[in-house]
Amino acid sequence: MTILEEPIKEVMKLQNYIDGEWVESESDQILDIVNPATQKTLAKVPMSTKAEVNAAIKAAKEAFPEWRQTPPLARVRCLFRLKELLEENFEQLSRVQTMEHGKTIDESRGETRRGIEMVEVATGIPSLMMGYNLEDIASGIDEYAIYQPLGVFGHIAPFNFPFMVPLWFSPFALATGNTFVVKPSPRDPISQVKLTELIDEAGFPPGVYNLVHGGADAASIMLEHPDIKGITFVGSTKVGKDIYRKCGETGKRVIAQTSAKNFMVVMPDADIARTIPALMTSFFGNAGQRCLSGANLVIVGKDDAFYNKVLDAFVTTASKIRVGYGLDESIQMGPMQSIDGKERVLGYIEKGIAEGAKPILDGRKPTIIGDYPDTCFVNPTVFESVTPDMTIGREEIFGPVASVMRAEDLDEAIKMANNSNFGNAHAIFTSSGKAAREFQYRIESGNVGINIGIVAPMAFFPFSGMKDSFFGVLHGQGRDAVRFFTESKIVIQRWL
Amino acid sequence: MEINTASAAISFSKKLEEDCARFYEDLSQRYSKAEDVFLPFVKENQKNIVQIERAYYGVITDALEGCFAFNLNPDEYTLKTELAEEASYSDALDKAVEIEEKMIKFYSDAAEQSKSLMADVPRAFTLIVRKRGGRVSKLRSLLGEEG
Repeated sequence: MTILEEPIKEVMKLQNYIDGEWVESESDQILDIVNPATQKTLAKVPMSTKAEVNAAIKAAKEAFPEWRQTPPLARVRCLFRLKELLEENFEQLSRVQTMEHGKTIDESRGETRRGIEMVEVATGIPSLMMGYNLEDIASGIDEYAIYQPLGVFGHIAPFNFPFMVPLWFSPFALATGNTFVVKPSPRDPISQVKLTELIDEAGFPPGVYNLVHGGADAASIMLEHPDIKGITFVGSTKVGKDIYRKCGETGKRVIAQTSAKNFMVVMPDADIARTIPALMTSFFGNAGQRCLSGANLVIVGKDDAFYNKVLDAFVTTASKIRVGYGLDESIQMGPMQSIDGKERVLGYIEKGIAEGAKPILDGRKPTIIGDYPDTCFVNPTVFESVTPDMTIGREEIFGPVASVMRAEDLDEAIKMANNSNFGNAHAIFTSSGKAAREFQYRIESGNVGINIGIVAPMAFFPFSGMKDSFFGVLHGQGRDAVRFFTESKIVIQRWL
Repeated sequence: MEINTASAAISFSKKLEEDCARFYEDLSQRYSKAEDVFLPFVKENQKNIVQIERAYYGVITDALEGCFAFNLNPDEYTLKTELAEEASYSDALDKAVEIEEKMIKFYSDAAEQSKSLMADVPRAFTLIVRKRGGRVSKLRSLLGEEG
């Protein structure tokens, strides 16, 4: 297979986007953005100064009154234009994601499509944002509820979906009349720069949407800033908990979608041929770097033959996954996004071995399709004889590592999953409606898969999460997002 | 090398359509009496590419099995479009039937294997199978007329 043309030809010097202008940072802290597959430098990104972060927030605050008064229909016109621009630039946006993140081109295109779907749903704001009313709550007195925007919202973005995740929030925030400041991940910020170029072209008024590059320092400034009304965050539980606490202290709304340890439960009546591809996507798609990834594979039943059949099919298929540069269309799994990410995964593999788990597929010495350095690559890894109390059975690895467990029956499998601190996206594979219903009913998971390996809610549903996988009340996407970005105001009126 | 990913399957289908279109362009020049049969096929091939890409780009998602849905051996479907200089019109029609049947096999297999993807992709493949079935009937009837 040939390699698709790379859209980034020269090293980019990334700028902030503040008050409708691209502005060079004065920071002397500059990081290199490196293609994890090829190790070529793609861009240089500044860690913005406090003054620059504050300037972005100030611009957003000043833009708010006029944007808020802009009729919803006019606001979504900008989103319609953005949607058109996103479609026109679909392939370039997707290839940029592959270059800076490492995921395969199919995965990047999927990410682009899901990002666009958020914009599409948010264009329905004139209907979605409507309030409600009741005449004559008492004689001659009417009451109605209206939804109003709050002001400036900030988003602290993760590295694993550099294009899509900020779009879980920004279209809804903007459509409801708020203004927005996004801080992309300092590990792969180019996708957000490309998106912001299109936002600029779509004609949003200056200050309505702002982008500042930076790391933890920039995030802290946003968290503590009194003019930010709410924060959305996607990342680790450790940071998410901290953000939740800080937002509580400063009176901000918060959506913090955090870590996961998802259990994939395979029942004895599962259709193995259909289940295996779903499990491959779940465990090894995006190189396991997503909060919806399968982590623990629980094979149910006392029948050794069934257990061995599923395990053999799983390991054989995983061992054949073509690992390499995602712009090669034949590649099924890309590298880890960073060296740190790879080292973290290797550390977990070592821990698994040390704690007595049996590596039946060891990806530490990767086989790579094409002539690329192995710097960030790990091949699919499968452990057998894992127990839920082992580190690799308990903690989020965020890499292509599967921990295989056994459960005697569905009841035990559900208990194993529910004992986890996390509750993000557990799934069951079965041909029994009764088993599926019981699983759905009892499982402590914000998103539940039934014969689905990646339980990714569509743009018009909330992206749920429970336990240590979510901090907040309302979720991103769909009606939850509309409520999150609006304050309800109740009016009771009587005319004498 | 096997085709495993949706992206590779879509690119391969595009290549087949383009190779096939070139074949019919050549036929339309060599056998001008059937130009009105072959040139619409060329146009339809181009339309097929657009329809397949539209379906793919419209529904591709990282959440389903885009990278793991296919298991196609391209050698089984690669078109042999060369036609000898001295080939008769009947030979050309025979060749066209062979090409169409090979493409029907590809799209049928691809549709079957992509059932787990969102509906539009296998639907687009199946639609092309139907269209190509119509072509085979047409080509066979022309062959019959040739006696």
